[in-house]
Amino acid sequence: MAVTYMRKLEEEPVSYDSKFTALTKGVNLKVQDWILDHIGSSETILEIGCGTGTLASKMAIRGNQIIAIDKNVNMINFAMKNYPTDKDVNLLYQIGTTEDYKVEDNSKDVIVSTFMLSELKTFEQQKFLRKAWKALKPNGRLIVAAEFIPSGFWRQVFRIKRWWYKKKLRRLHLKTTTVVKWFFKYLEPIGFKINMHKTWKHGSIQALELHKVNVNDTNEPGYYQPQARKFKGIRSQLKIYRCLFTGQIDHVPIEPGIYRSGNPNRNSPIIVTANYAYTYIKVMRDLKGIDAWVLCVDSDGINVWCAARGDNFGNNQLLEAVETSNIADITDTRTLILPQLSAGGVSIPQLPKKSEKFPFKITYGPVWSKQLPQFLKEKPGRKSDKMKIAKFSLSHRIRAGVTHITFLFRKIFLLPLLALALLILGINVLLGITWYSKLYWIGEIFLWIIVANIIISLLFPISEFTRKFLVKGVFFGILNVIILSTLTWILHNSIIFILLNVCFYFWIAFFSTMSFSGDTMYTNPREIQGEYPIFVRINKILIIVSLVFLVIGLIIY
Amino acid sequence: MTETKLDSCCAPSAIEIPRIFINISTCTGCGLCGEVCPFGLPQSNGNGKFEIKDSELCIECSACARNCPTQAIMLQEQKGCGCLWDARARKKNQGNSNGCGCC
Repeated sequence: MAVTYMRKLEEEPVSYDSKFTALTKGVNLKVQDWILDHIGSSETILEIGCGTGTLASKMAIRGNQIIAIDKNVNMINFAMKNYPTDKDVNLLYQIGTTEDYKVEDNSKDVIVSTFMLSELKTFEQQKFLRKAWKALKPNGRLIVAAEFIPSGFWRQVFRIKRWWYKKKLRRLHLKTTTVVKWFFKYLEPIGFKINMHKTWKHGSIQALELHKVNVNDTNEPGYYQPQARKFKGIRSQLKIYRCLFTGQIDHVPIEPGIYRSGNPNRNSPIIVTANYAYTYIKVMRDLKGIDAWVLCVDSDGINVWCAARGDNFGNNQLLEAVETSNIADITDTRTLILPQLSAGGVSIPQLPKKSEKFPFKITYGPVWSKQLPQFLKEKPGRKSDKMKIAKFSLSHRIRAGVTHITFLFRKIFLLPLLALALLILGINVLLGITWYSKLYWIGEIFLWIIVANIIISLLFPISEFTRKFLVKGVFFGILNVIILSTLTWILHNSIIFILLNVCFYFWIAFFSTMSFSGDTMYTNPREIQGEYPIFVRINKILIIVSLVFLVIGLIIY
Repeated sequence: MTETKLDSCCAPSAIEIPRIFINISTCTGCGLCGEVCPFGLPQSNGNGKFEIKDSELCIECSACARNCPTQAIMLQEQKGCGCLWDARARKKNQGNSNGCGCC
């Protein structure tokens, strides 16, 4: 299903209802009816994310006492315009979110929320559940409807549809919603029991009626902790490769929360890290079973460095992780060891002063997790250079190279090359010319791109004579021409063929070097944004010239 | 550009403000900047204060400025993640990037 597209529909409250109904193929109306069947006529209800207020007014007309909130001002305004005309309606619209809306404890009979969960990230969903639990009266009910991932065959259909709408939203510069993945796991630990459960559309839309239950004797909701996660063995290794091959494109999140390395006790150190699968596996392996708590913040499945620079690993995420995981009660340790590279997002002076809510002191650990055991053993006041300086070493360059090659193919080269292959096949069939040998030539382009990128990532330190990536690009362009020409000479033994390809060889390396800039640690936003306009011009000329010669080469050879 | 050139021939050359520098008067010498910089650029100057060596190597990650307890570090920070695709997204979208999708 495509509920994620509601991000676009939300912009126009007037057409929202009809368009959203079309988007869900009418299921949202069935959801409303189902919810109305499950509420009485004299209950105190809070609706979170009321949108245009359709459900809220229906519930109010039945005689319930309703407060309906939404974070979207336009929606609230629209809802007010359509305020029910019946006489004794007890309905109040307010602007607010799950986060900032203040509700009295034990004050509501029912809390309703439809298609709102996907607006919340993992930890926020847990916070929402805890808050709802507190606001509900004993035996109160939480009724939620949302888009979930169906199972089996429909899972794939769901994925394709979601991918399609995600692309659409991207074009409109809108953010996509979260997939509600682990929601069911939170219910029991936090203190909810599923009473009713209804699914539509093969489980892609589900509605739940949850009963509030006490999980402890403190009259507080419980906390959820993710299950232990394997970091050794073949599956983890495959996960590592999956991350390497899709590094620059896919987010690979694991559940954020507390994990254990070894058997930590109340005095074991707390290591904070990102919730990227690769990061988690590496950190756990590097800890070598040392007893420690590993707290994964919700960095949206992005590595520490990129997340810190992209607002996904900062004070907010850190505070949220500390609050939602209840780490302060689980241990007596009062120091959090953060990865050094998260300092680009976390700001110690802006964290709240040491208090009951945040009783921690922050220390920045080593730059690579490999140094963690040594760091924990020595607890240095000043880190050695080895522990704090990020070198773009050979092993990093190899991994960055692999990631970059797969990125280039997936995002840039794959479609044009496939189109070309189809074109050649089409010419074969339609014109009856035997051009099958040209397909081999496409394979060769694949090879050239790979070779060029291997050269760039392996020999990158040679180009350290300059910081300008344009110059680096020209340098590797020339180097690539020399190496690929030699390779072509060995394969084809033809000077003319080499001459026709020279420009293309140069372009591949020039373009790849520029694109590689983000993987290295040798440029900054100012420099690369300054170089970008010149890059665009050179790039255009090179592509046109390369294509002309390539077509000539394709026809002649 | 031309104005600065004129200045440099006729008047004493304008002082160029480095991209990043530490205000000596407010620096307490705690050394946290040296602990977070992935290139080890902030270094002790021997008088209990820190200064930035090789400021041209700075990648503007803002770790030092963000965590300095006395806000002694002046950094002209530009938004962006420092990769080509982010630069492209910003150019197309007037300075805003909705994530470059590369990291």
